[in-house]
Amino acid sequence: MTTTSALAASMRAGYKDYGFGEMAVRALNGVNVDIARSEFTAIMGPSGSGKSTLLHTLAGLDRLTAGTSSISDIEITALTESQVTEVRRKNIGFVFQSFNLIPSLTARENITLPLDIAGTSVDGSWFDEIIGILGLGDRLTHLPAELSGGQQQRVAVARALMSRPEIIFADEPSGNLDSRSGAELLGFMRRAVKEFGQTIVMVTHDPTAASYADRILFLEDGVIVDEMREPTAEKILDRMKRMGS
Amino acid sequence: MLRIALKNVKHNPKRLILTAIAVALGVSLVAATHVFTNALSSGFSALFNDIYDTVDVIVEPDPDAQIDLPEGVSVFQESDIDKVRATAGVAAADGNLTYPGVLLDKDGKAPNGGQGGPPTLVINWSTTPDLAGATVIDGRAPAADGEAIVDVGAFAKDALALGDTIKIASERGVAEFTVVGTARFGEDNNTQGATLVYTTAASAQLFAGVDGFDGIQALVTDGANPDQVAEAVGAVIPEGTRALTGEQKAAEQAAEFDQVLQYVDIFTLAFALISLFVGAYIIANTFRIIVTQRTRELGLLRAIGMRGSQVRSMILLEAAAVGVVASTTGLLLGWGLALGITAWLERLSGDIFGTITLPPDAIAWGYGLGMLVTLVSALLPALHAARIAPMEALRESGTQSRKPLRTRNIVGVALLAAGGAVFAIGLFAGFDSPYVFVGFGGALLVLGTTLLGPQVLVPLAFGLRGVLTKLFRLDGKLAANNIHREPRRSANTAAALMIGVMLLALVATFTQSLKATFSEQFSTANADFFITPTAGPVPQAALDVVAADADVAYVSRVAWEEVQVDGATRSLAIIDADTADLAFGYPHDRDFTELAGGVFVDPAIQAQGVGVGDSVTIVGPATTQTLTVTGLYERDGDANYFVDWETGSQLVGETAIQQAMVGLNDGADPEIARDRIESELAVDFPLVQLQDASELQQFVNQFIDLFLTIISALLGSALVIAILGVMNTLLLSVTERTREIGLLRAVGLRKSSVWRMITIESLVMALFGAMLGMILGVAVGAALVRSLADFGFSSVAIPWRLLGVYTLLAGVAGVAAALWPARRASRLDILKAIATE
Repeated sequence: MTTTSALAASMRAGYKDYGFGEMAVRALNGVNVDIARSEFTAIMGPSGSGKSTLLHTLAGLDRLTAGTSSISDIEITALTESQVTEVRRKNIGFVFQSFNLIPSLTARENITLPLDIAGTSVDGSWFDEIIGILGLGDRLTHLPAELSGGQQQRVAVARALMSRPEIIFADEPSGNLDSRSGAELLGFMRRAVKEFGQTIVMVTHDPTAASYADRILFLEDGVIVDEMREPTAEKILDRMKRMGS
Repeated sequence: MLRIALKNVKHNPKRLILTAIAVALGVSLVAATHVFTNALSSGFSALFNDIYDTVDVIVEPDPDAQIDLPEGVSVFQESDIDKVRATAGVAAADGNLTYPGVLLDKDGKAPNGGQGGPPTLVINWSTTPDLAGATVIDGRAPAADGEAIVDVGAFAKDALALGDTIKIASERGVAEFTVVGTARFGEDNNTQGATLVYTTAASAQLFAGVDGFDGIQALVTDGANPDQVAEAVGAVIPEGTRALTGEQKAAEQAAEFDQVLQYVDIFTLAFALISLFVGAYIIANTFRIIVTQRTRELGLLRAIGMRGSQVRSMILLEAAAVGVVASTTGLLLGWGLALGITAWLERLSGDIFGTITLPPDAIAWGYGLGMLVTLVSALLPALHAARIAPMEALRESGTQSRKPLRTRNIVGVALLAAGGAVFAIGLFAGFDSPYVFVGFGGALLVLGTTLLGPQVLVPLAFGLRGVLTKLFRLDGKLAANNIHREPRRSANTAAALMIGVMLLALVATFTQSLKATFSEQFSTANADFFITPTAGPVPQAALDVVAADADVAYVSRVAWEEVQVDGATRSLAIIDADTADLAFGYPHDRDFTELAGGVFVDPAIQAQGVGVGDSVTIVGPATTQTLTVTGLYERDGDANYFVDWETGSQLVGETAIQQAMVGLNDGADPEIARDRIESELAVDFPLVQLQDASELQQFVNQFIDLFLTIISALLGSALVIAILGVMNTLLLSVTERTREIGLLRAVGLRKSSVWRMITIESLVMALFGAMLGMILGVAVGAALVRSLADFGFSSVAIPWRLLGVYTLLAGVAGVAAALWPARRASRLDILKAIATE
């Protein structure tokens, strides 16, 4: 897909309410955000700040109450449900915190799942390259239950990369992993950004995880309150402390 | 614990709904039958009371006595009635005579072609009002011979007018009556559809061809006790007859009718049990799935101190709660069903039902069966739940170890082997009653197949994976995986359908073979026409008319009677020996013309060592004859002994002709001959009809098809339950796979693809169950037919057309069963589905 825009995703005046009337909770309160191509963006914020909601609405898993959001040039808020499904399939990859894989499919089948869904053929050299980088070569015929947590998440990342999507959304991808496996996984994600120019947006509350990103957006009460470039774990911790107070 | 159990049921009503429906459907069948027969019983008992209400004492032949009277001589003569009238306490007495016929239409033709329908009863009119059983409404009572009055219902239906001449045909010929009035039977002319024609005693006797009466009815004087009068009357009536009060007669008839209804109850109970048996698979499946889904929760309960036995009781309590709700629903459903059916029937045939209640036996059967089947089916899952360790609570969900299928396989193989062995014994060992072995072996084979289902399903699903992936790509692959993932569950689901379809296929094979057997026999018929009886036996006078036709070469008669030989009841065929072989290709070692006053014996008798030249002593209703065996009959199931008409008449006295075969002269045009013969018959015997071989075959096939239709309809509820089972399994597994489906949707699977995935899964299970069912059903059906060779089944036929229909229906059912689960799966909220706890 050829695009003229430099942005992989964007949101303008994004509002998201849950519930109605008195009971309504505003999760997003007028968010404006641009996600640049080939950048690793992290979204941080305390629980309830709306960071997961931001990710879901950007990715077209959930709909905004008001405002617009786009993936590259496609304004997904104007699309029907089935059109959004098409966009997700062609342009978006996902990595969730857990339960990323279909238990009945092997690692290889899970990785090629989006291509199978789209009915497109598998690019063998691209597959081999991803598998090589993620170190999954000897695990391809295993079922998810036979893989460690770290391996499962790497399979999920491989799947997300496989269709060369416009953008990958990751929701606490290292949240369930021990620190070594987590660091490994985030390292791979960073390499994907640097070497393949992959765009990644990641939600996390872990400063160490966020420090792998190029840019961090801080969210509080449904609004973006700050932004940080070239982050380090210390800088992030420091910023988080100020948020709490 | 009861509280937790009830809360579980209340919290997850959805996953138990279909289970409850399965039980309720089975129960409703039982309940509806009981309500229906109960209402019918009370309705008829009221009717019998009406009939005998005005009559105090009834005199009739004793049903236990054997009275041998020559043709045309009645049990009661006018002198007997006089004796009754003279008995102390009798105020009035009259003979009564009823003889069936068919009221012909204005063209002199039998309505319906003379086939079936309620009869016309010709009854002598009693001038004593309370003994007539009917009241004159218009015109006047019949006074002169040949006058008649018709019941008001038939009078209106047939658009008769006073002064009309009506024709009534019986096996004895056609009689004409002049209508002089109308009568109302009882209080509201409730004749159950029959047409009543009252005429003088002399006319009725002429019509019936007798010289007296069937019975005597009497009224007692005021203040006399009917019981005592009946006793006194009993002393003066002929031997072999009895006197009883009207009240006793009504009670007796009601009891006899109830006896018949009991068979109806038992018959439908059998089908209800099949439904519940199929339902049991679904209940077991549901509880197994629920236990698996709640493994962590149950583990937690164990961790905080609940004993294994308490977990077991809790699951059984849940089952009991489901059983109570389902049985209640089933009872009410059955009641409603019975109300609907009775209302519909009453519109068709008048007020034949008493008050419609929910009788205690319906409630007892309903709750008994409903609770039993639910609890028994939930037992294994409950025992499994009791073994869940507290550690399970701490495990990640979705990692439960799968119980090995070894025990199941061993039992399955053992059952299959035992079933096969018994099956083979039945088919080849040559014991008596081989069909018992075949039936029992067949049941074992079915159970074994059910248990081995997972073993068959795993390779099958894997084999299909390739095909399905080719056909439907990813959707097909995922569907095959899902079936393969829970082989036990998928197999049980398919098994429920398998049993229903198996029974269908079995009955279809059976009826198809029956048709084939008949058509094979009819194909040896050389006669141009067949005459079969419609009302009573075929009258000889009618055959004389046929034989007199210029084109008719011969009329060959057949009759069957029961006789005693060496103390055993045997069947005897009586034939016209000189023409039988012209008319029909009977299988025997020499022609019937060589009977020569002797007897041919069939294979069953030959097996006793009886051969040509031996003598056989046959005890018939009239005389005992010792006959020489002059030939061998070579087909089972037709009759044990064959004698010529002369010998037969000596054995049984007056022979009732059951069939006649008519052959035409060479060169005669069958159509022209038929038209002429039929118009010759129409004069005196409008009820006698000619049929050619293909019409006769069609006539027989109609009955076979009707039988198949009734059985199929009764199996319908089992099939509906099986389809509910497929739906239930899919719904539960959609719930189980919520996150997985959410993930697939998140990475871009279309809703339509999710729908397709579930539908393929459903289709594979439905078709797999139907196929296995058809294979088993045809195999067991064919074997049963073979084992019934002694009853004349000569060929096995496979009902290919019906099997095609069943496959198609299974496919449609598969798609339909997937509708709800697929709708749910495709509408899952992705965010909720993928949300972590």
